[in-house]
Amino acid sequence: MVEQHIIDLTNEVFEESFEIEIEKLQPEMNIFNDLGLDSLDIVDLVVALQNKFGVRIRSDERVRNIRTLGDIYQFISALKNEGLSSSDGRGQE
Amino acid sequence: MTLKRVVVTGMGAISPLGNDLPSLIQGIENRRSAVCRMEGWELYNGLRCLVGAPAELKNEKAIPRQSRRSMGRMSIFSVQAALQALADAGMERDNLSSGRLGCIIGSTMGSAQSINDVFEIMLPNRDLTRMPGLKFFQCVSHTAAMNVAQFLGITGCVMATSAACASGLQAVGAGYDLIRLGKQDVVLCGGTEELHPTVTGSFDVLFATSSSYNDEPRKTPRPFDEGRDGLVCGEGSAILVLEEYERALGRKAKIHGEIIGYNTGASGVHVSHSNKDRMVTCIREALDDARVLPKDIDYVNAHATGTVQGDKEEAEAIREIFNDSVPVSSLKGYVGHTLGASGALELIVSLVMMDKGVVYPTLNLDVVSSDCRGIRHVTEPLERDIKIMVKNCFAFGGINAALVCRKFSHQ
Repeated sequence: MVEQHIIDLTNEVFEESFEIEIEKLQPEMNIFNDLGLDSLDIVDLVVALQNKFGVRIRSDERVRNIRTLGDIYQFISALKNEGLSSSDGRGQE
Repeated sequence: MTLKRVVVTGMGAISPLGNDLPSLIQGIENRRSAVCRMEGWELYNGLRCLVGAPAELKNEKAIPRQSRRSMGRMSIFSVQAALQALADAGMERDNLSSGRLGCIIGSTMGSAQSINDVFEIMLPNRDLTRMPGLKFFQCVSHTAAMNVAQFLGITGCVMATSAACASGLQAVGAGYDLIRLGKQDVVLCGGTEELHPTVTGSFDVLFATSSSYNDEPRKTPRPFDEGRDGLVCGEGSAILVLEEYERALGRKAKIHGEIIGYNTGASGVHVSHSNKDRMVTCIREALDDARVLPKDIDYVNAHATGTVQGDKEEAEAIREIFNDSVPVSSLKGYVGHTLGASGALELIVSLVMMDKGVVYPTLNLDVVSSDCRGIRHVTEPLERDIKIMVKNCFAFGGINAALVCRKFSHQ
């Protein structure tokens, strides 16, 4: 179960950085096809998520597998369970 | 080779006096200065000039996010001015990808705010991991030309002239050359710039800014005036649609004026001091290019920024060529020095003067400085049939540019 504040903060990123209306921010939404992001946006998405959650995920391979908004909730939730800093090294630069 | 005729069929402007051309003209006709005290600038240690002429950024969300994300403030200004110019020219946006339509927009540099953002993000911890991916596109020197061209789907020649205060006029001159040589049919030309403490600061450290009027901002800059003490930076963008004459005629376009001559050259003398002799050469070369004589000129729109040395050199240059026979005015008192935008912005206003048969006066010119005398300063609105005019721009780096325009006739 993903904590609500992770959902809220992630949704804030999409509202603030990508100007997407809150109503569209449902977990099943594909961030490319439904929410309109492209490869250039992913750079900014990573930076915004890093700033919002205080994590370092730029080199985390799991970012490549993200397709839906729900994937991001799960990814951040997993990071949190790992101690937010990817203590196994996968999230380190 | 027969050179083609080039006419101006569209004009658009975002300026410190408003976000369209009518607002700009109305402000000037009301003798309104857009210069104001800049909030927060007093926090910069050593910054002497605390005034500026800001434009207003508004309606930017009318540009879709995925187009806007690569645009800094200056590119947004340019897109908005370009849309105005296209509408004025009666050109449809979906018809700009023939390859025969180009885009040349000049500026001193990329977005000052975006460049500042990059340094603030990266330098404190020498850390690039927090850098947004699109910042680069906002910082490059061709940011406005690139963004306008991408946004409008332009596929012809895209260039960015970068010659400080001559950038905008060089862009118009370059567009003029492309069309008269037959390489493009239409070129969106102009300039853009942002107001930012780092921009004013670059002039301020050289003591080229106005610093005596921080508590009376509307009294500065003072082109050619004995109380002038330096320039005041402004911001905005101006875009003109330049079009090959036969094409414009064929589609019954409204024609604002014809460009008939252009020159740009360098002083080769000093990186920051204006040089009267090279100004004279530049203006004379432009007149020769236009095949007109000094006596044919009805108005000179001066560069005159309000600096002690620059205004003196320009006044001497104008005096050497025109004596006191030709009305001269500067528009910097109204909108400050919009730097890379100034050449295009002031050219547009000059074409409006030509259309209306009036010379707008130099604002804040109360007492002509002894070293700027001998030319015909305009200090009150002057009715004048302007058939041919000259626009001057003289930039740091010793870069000079002059453009000659004629009131349109079919002759």
